Amino acid sequence: MERLGTLEVKNLSKKFRSRNDELTVLNDINLTVQPGEFISIIGSSGCGKTTFLRLVVGLEKGYEGEILLDGQRLNGPSLKRGVVFQDHRLLPWLSIEKNVGMGLKDAKSDESRKAIQEHLELVGLKGFEKHYPHQLSGGMSQRAAIARALVNRPGILLLDEPLGALDALTRMYMHQELERIWKQEKITMIMITHDVDEAIVLSDKIVVMSSRPGTIKKIIPVPLARPRDRASYDFVKIKEEVLEEFQLHTEHPFTYTI
Amino acid sequence: MKIQLLKNKLTGLIIPLVLYVAWDLLSRYELVPSTLMPPPKVLFETWWVMQSSGELLLNMKMSLLRVGAGFLVGASSGFLLGTAMGLWKPVEQYLNPVFNFFRQVPVVAWIPFLLLWLGIDEWFKIVFISCGAFIPMTLKTYDGIKNVPASYLEVVRVFEYGWFRLLRTVIVPSALPSIFTGLRLSLSEAWMLVIGAELVAAGEGIGNVMVIARRLFQTDVVLVGVIVIAITGFAMDRLLGLLETRFLGWHRTQNAQ
Repeated sequence: MERLGTLEVKNLSKKFRSRNDELTVLNDINLTVQPGEFISIIGSSGCGKTTFLRLVVGLEKGYEGEILLDGQRLNGPSLKRGVVFQDHRLLPWLSIEKNVGMGLKDAKSDESRKAIQEHLELVGLKGFEKHYPHQLSGGMSQRAAIARALVNRPGILLLDEPLGALDALTRMYMHQELERIWKQEKITMIMITHDVDEAIVLSDKIVVMSSRPGTIKKIIPVPLARPRDRASYDFVKIKEEVLEEFQLHTEHPFTYTI
Repeated sequence: MKIQLLKNKLTGLIIPLVLYVAWDLLSRYELVPSTLMPPPKVLFETWWVMQSSGELLLNMKMSLLRVGAGFLVGASSGFLLGTAMGLWKPVEQYLNPVFNFFRQVPVVAWIPFLLLWLGIDEWFKIVFISCGAFIPMTLKTYDGIKNVPASYLEVVRVFEYGWFRLLRTVIVPSALPSIFTGLRLSLSEAWMLVIGAELVAAGEGIGNVMVIARRLFQTDVVLVGVIVIAITGFAMDRLLGLLETRFLGWHRTQNAQ
């Protein structure tokens, strides 16, 4: 069986229309993601990266060009694409177990129970089944959100700055966790981020976007062995390559902010 | 933790206690005429007489029955209208402006009209009370449904939920705290209006007892009425509050953080 999860984006453009204005948010995006790949999309705020992700999820409508998942044109949100948002969006009135089971048709069946257990174990939340979201820390909540997104076995997982709200140490720990989950599940992941280190640690390819209108500026492959060492020469080299992309657009070439 | 809680509760009792002592002193030394402000002791005696003769219970029963009927009708129709306006755009477009127009009218302003239509019988009281109970219930239900966070709805869209599952998993639980607030406001409104209605026209009921007592210059009976009304209202609100904590534990604990 051919592995699922090939995403093809061809000549994708997206415009937002207000009363007398038209704003091109995305312009001519072309990208192919192979099954099992980890892709990061990085860019300064306002470059349309979140819009891109929302289009792929199907939460945003109306675009020019094509977005194909395994050759099929996307039409609205679907169980085939899991999402993790920046805010975990766990429902506060459901226990963790029930939150994770949200994506299952019949959450009470034996099969579903097993799937929920497996995924709680996968994200390291075994024993927290009966807890409620407000009893978990930020990192744990985000892990529960990841379990929820994976439980119905989507072909592709989309992550919108999933670690953006976490503190630096929890973040580094979550990088390891995310990599482990990705390896174990062998799932395609596309992650939006504005953290260059995070992108290099996790990705097979880094897509650098520029803003107004949002276009792909460069796709940088990361051919480093995993797990990656943030202090290694190759790592730093790639980091410089990514950062250089941002410098070109600033008016003062010697100051850059990310 | 427990002690702190107890302390908080006791702090709330300080001012009533001070007022009680002041009242006792004022009436004991006849600083205000006892016809206008009978001492607490007299009130207790009056209360005991009214209680043991069954007069108080009978009238309370009447008032509570009216509140029950009016609240049931008003709150349930408010719940239905609020839900319908919250869930269906066309209903909202047709009915929300009309609702907003009429809710500007204080319920008491309907009294003359209702009296003309319904006379001074039970129907008048029940319709009057249900009008009052209807408004906060409609508002809070509608609010609760309208304010379901869009972020939760997006999560559910990805999971391809049907209409019923969407309602059960997201909309109802998210709107429940607001609906509960609606219930509490609605019940206390109903309790206030029953007294109002009985002051206007009634043969029985706690409000009626007070009207008659006023005519006979029985200040003690009037004041017993006031206190009984306050205690009953307080108790009803606490009861709903307890139900709320029971069913919406997640909401309390979440907000406490």
